[in-house]
Amino acid sequence: MSTIVAHELTQRFGAELALDGIDFVLDKGEHLAVLGENGAGKTTLLRILSTAVRPTSGSLQIFGLDALRERARLRARIGFVGHAPGLYPALSAAENLEFFCSLQGVDRARVAETLALVGLSHAARRPAGRLSRGEQQRLAIGRAVLHDPRLLVLDEPDASLDSGGPDLLAKVMLGRSAVLATHDRALANRLCQRTLVLRAGRALGAATRLRVVR
Amino acid sequence: MTRAVAVAFAVARKDLTSEWRTRELVPALGQFVVLALVIANFGFQIDSQNAPAIAPGVLWLALVFAGLVAFGRAFAAEREQASLEAMLLTPAPAAAIFAGKALAAGLLLIACEVVLLPALALFFGTPLNFALVAAVLVATIGMAALGCLFAAMVARVRAREVLLPLLTLPLWIPFIIAGGQAVQVAMGATGNYNQAVALLVDFDILFVVLTSLAARFVLDD
Repeated sequence: MSTIVAHELTQRFGAELALDGIDFVLDKGEHLAVLGENGAGKTTLLRILSTAVRPTSGSLQIFGLDALRERARLRARIGFVGHAPGLYPALSAAENLEFFCSLQGVDRARVAETLALVGLSHAARRPAGRLSRGEQQRLAIGRAVLHDPRLLVLDEPDASLDSGGPDLLAKVMLGRSAVLATHDRALANRLCQRTLVLRAGRALGAATRLRVVR
Repeated sequence: MTRAVAVAFAVARKDLTSEWRTRELVPALGQFVVLALVIANFGFQIDSQNAPAIAPGVLWLALVFAGLVAFGRAFAAEREQASLEAMLLTPAPAAAIFAGKALAAGLLLIACEVVLLPALALFFGTPLNFALVAAVLVATIGMAALGCLFAAMVARVRAREVLLPLLTLPLWIPFIIAGGQAVQVAMGATGNYNQAVALLVDFDILFVVLTSLAARFVLDD
């Protein structure tokens, strides 16, 4: 079964067309890089895939479920890293993850192993507001994999990460399906099997190895 | 159900822990209500004759504006940190997240009332008794539910500071009318205290149920 089947995904913000009929399929365990200039529609597409927003039109199936209707069920199986880390600055790194354990309904024992996975064991008790931007990004990536999701949706997760960032991303993407938006073509080539290039909300079909939904 | 309650308590605990460590809101609200009472004390030329008539109005005015600040911050901070979306992208029920936010904001307002009620007794010479405290606490429940719902609704718009009072104040009027009557009686005026408090409880039930049902659509769509 395909992890994602997107058909004619279109998103309008008022008169502005942010996404224009995007079709693609993501197979189980496959990694797709979404490339494009600023304003091309990458973030809009990833926010739809993460179930944060509903598309204006089109259909989206994730794990065989209608992503527009079964959002609550899907959210337990999707991990999302957005532009902003979305952390609580007054809480420590461990407390941030413990809080999300409560929301995800997962055991707090996951916190220590997740902090170790993202290389933040040493900063477990430090307030998130006092972590460097790169460490905050690592913590946000940790939060995205806390509940062991089958699909990762990563919106420029390499932003602010140090030289160990690509290795960390490779580690968390291993064994999962993933959609990764980035400006870094080298990173996309290293981590992903396929690319989807967006320009002004449209997929540049000829330049991609994209499988189009029939 | 158990999971929803656990989520609500986790959200409330997170908000209260953050406030305890940063002390951003409660000290400012405490100073605000004391200043409001000082201004009212000089502005109304308070004496022992008119204090029981004026004090309830001053109490509700101070409480209403402190509440607008407390509830406005509850969701504005989440939006600024982009953490609300991270919460909503979990399988936790939106109504439980909302209930946790409302619980924390309500408790912060109660912390503000801990300063307000003794200060009112000090400045206006009004009695500070169980009936007065109970009436204010019962009104706080429904006010917190409504205030948080509208705070969530306007958090994503730029003019939220203007919109929040415009949306919230009209729906808080029933609490101010019934609560005002209960507080007047608690301060020694004649009237039916039990009837006023029963009305407040009815409003609490009505608005807690309505806001819980609406929370999913406000937060998630």
